[in-house]
Amino acid sequence: MTTGRRRVLARVGVAAVPCAAATSAWAVTGVDEFWPRWVYFGVGTVLAAELLLRRALRVRPRRRRWLAVDGALCGLLVLVDVTVWVLSGGGYFWPIWQALALSAVFSLHAWVVSRPLGARERELAARVTRLTRSRRGAVDRQAADLKRVERDLHDGAQARMVSLALTLGLSGELLRRDPDAAARLLDEARATAVAALDDLRAVMHGIHPAVLADRGLGDAVRALVLDLAVPVTVTGDPPRALPAALETAVYFAVAECLSNVVKHSEATAAEVVFTGDPDVLRVTVTDDGVGGASPAGGTGLRGIIDRLDAVDADLHVSSPSGGPTVVTITVPLTEDPR
Amino acid sequence: MCLGYGCAVKVVVGEDLTLLRDGLIRMLQAYGFEVVAAVDNGPGLLRELVERRPDVAVVDIRLPPTHTDEGLRAALAARAEVPGLPILVLSQYVERLYARELLADGRGGIGYLLKDRVSDIGEFVDAVRRVAAGGTALDPKVVAKLLDNRERVLPLERLTPREREVLAHMAEGRSNAAIGAALFITEKAVAKHTNNIFAKLGLQSSDDHNRRVLAVLAYLDG
Repeated sequence: MTTGRRRVLARVGVAAVPCAAATSAWAVTGVDEFWPRWVYFGVGTVLAAELLLRRALRVRPRRRRWLAVDGALCGLLVLVDVTVWVLSGGGYFWPIWQALALSAVFSLHAWVVSRPLGARERELAARVTRLTRSRRGAVDRQAADLKRVERDLHDGAQARMVSLALTLGLSGELLRRDPDAAARLLDEARATAVAALDDLRAVMHGIHPAVLADRGLGDAVRALVLDLAVPVTVTGDPPRALPAALETAVYFAVAECLSNVVKHSEATAAEVVFTGDPDVLRVTVTDDGVGGASPAGGTGLRGIIDRLDAVDADLHVSSPSGGPTVVTITVPLTEDPR
Repeated sequence: MCLGYGCAVKVVVGEDLTLLRDGLIRMLQAYGFEVVAAVDNGPGLLRELVERRPDVAVVDIRLPPTHTDEGLRAALAARAEVPGLPILVLSQYVERLYARELLADGRGGIGYLLKDRVSDIGEFVDAVRRVAAGGTALDPKVVAKLLDNRERVLPLERLTPREREVLAHMAEGRSNAAIGAALFITEKAVAKHTNNIFAKLGLQSSDDHNRRVLAVLAYLDG
């Protein structure tokens, strides 16, 4: 038996006590009129009121909940009226007036609730949906990133450090007995240390490229394009003081776009342009390749969109078959929701 | 200025990590350099460089107060004041963008190496000497990336694979003799290659030293 049903039974049990007492009193005193019916009515009303309100308050969402409470109260009042009318012997059906008035009130309430949302409310609802999605995306991505960093460190730098410690220990052992072998091992140890540094550098670059920290977005992209196999020109400059999350998101977005240009577009040249005003930063990556790129395609681009979503930025791809491909990234720079 | 083993080359060291700074000083002194100043911040470094005019400076790119590229900026500012002041920049990572900025004045006397290279003491000390003598010492990592994608660069397209190899070694700052040793060819053959490179890149200057720097710049500009 559920606790809910048990509670209802307990209530009924408690209610039965005054009813039974009244009935016994009536039976003992022997009065003609069956007055305990008014006691039944009082107890019954209280029970019904509690039950109905309890149900009504559980309704979700909130807009509907208050309508349900309203409905429960109106229904209860009409029920009380009709019961009083029946118990007092019928005749002219006066409860009709209250019933009409209450149903008018209820209908008005229902109409207000069911009215479609205003433009502002619709916008806010859409934004809440978007934020929920982007937050989930950002959290997922962060967790995945941390996992990747952990694995990279574990398989790379950490493994090399272990081997380094081992080699150093061994060369210490050999120092007296076989100095030549010790020297060879020390050389090996140095090479391992350099390799470990290489690994660390790669991991750190994946988290936050050093040029980005030193020079900001504009120069970080300029440094990036110097290493690409396709000539890329960079024009314009983003604002110098951008929030770190935003800067990183845009940097990796541009890096992904350019790596797609190199890998898939067959382009002979590409261009990155920074434009915008104090409120918004626009970055376009254009190439003269074969086109036909789609954000639905690569997982790389998907991750980038998640990252951009988290800073409220948009990515738009225009890539007709035959080219050119233009990727536009729009980043709001003000706190105000769009 | 004195570059031989017999007398001391004056060095200013700019490095904020105490361990590394002390290590560098000890190593340089052990190889006969005279460390005239060691500073741990950008503004101090610029002051020392301009006042003391050392034979060479060994500078970490990231220095206080901003912990960004303070060291690089101090180096560039010092070279603006003292043209051709030899500077060897050390960094945890290398970017061609920075190499280009350092070499932009075309005067040489520039080194740009990963900090890791300090572990090969012989090579490192050699690089410091080369930079002090007005040569270049670019990290093999800066140069390595170029070898892969150079096909697209117009002036470099005309170079043969062998010439490109020679140019890569030249960018690291090697002399003709050293390049010959690395590629197992005679010094004379290297000289022939370098002359071809200079001709193909349109570098007609008579000063061989200057042409080497300009060739490296053409390489980096790709």
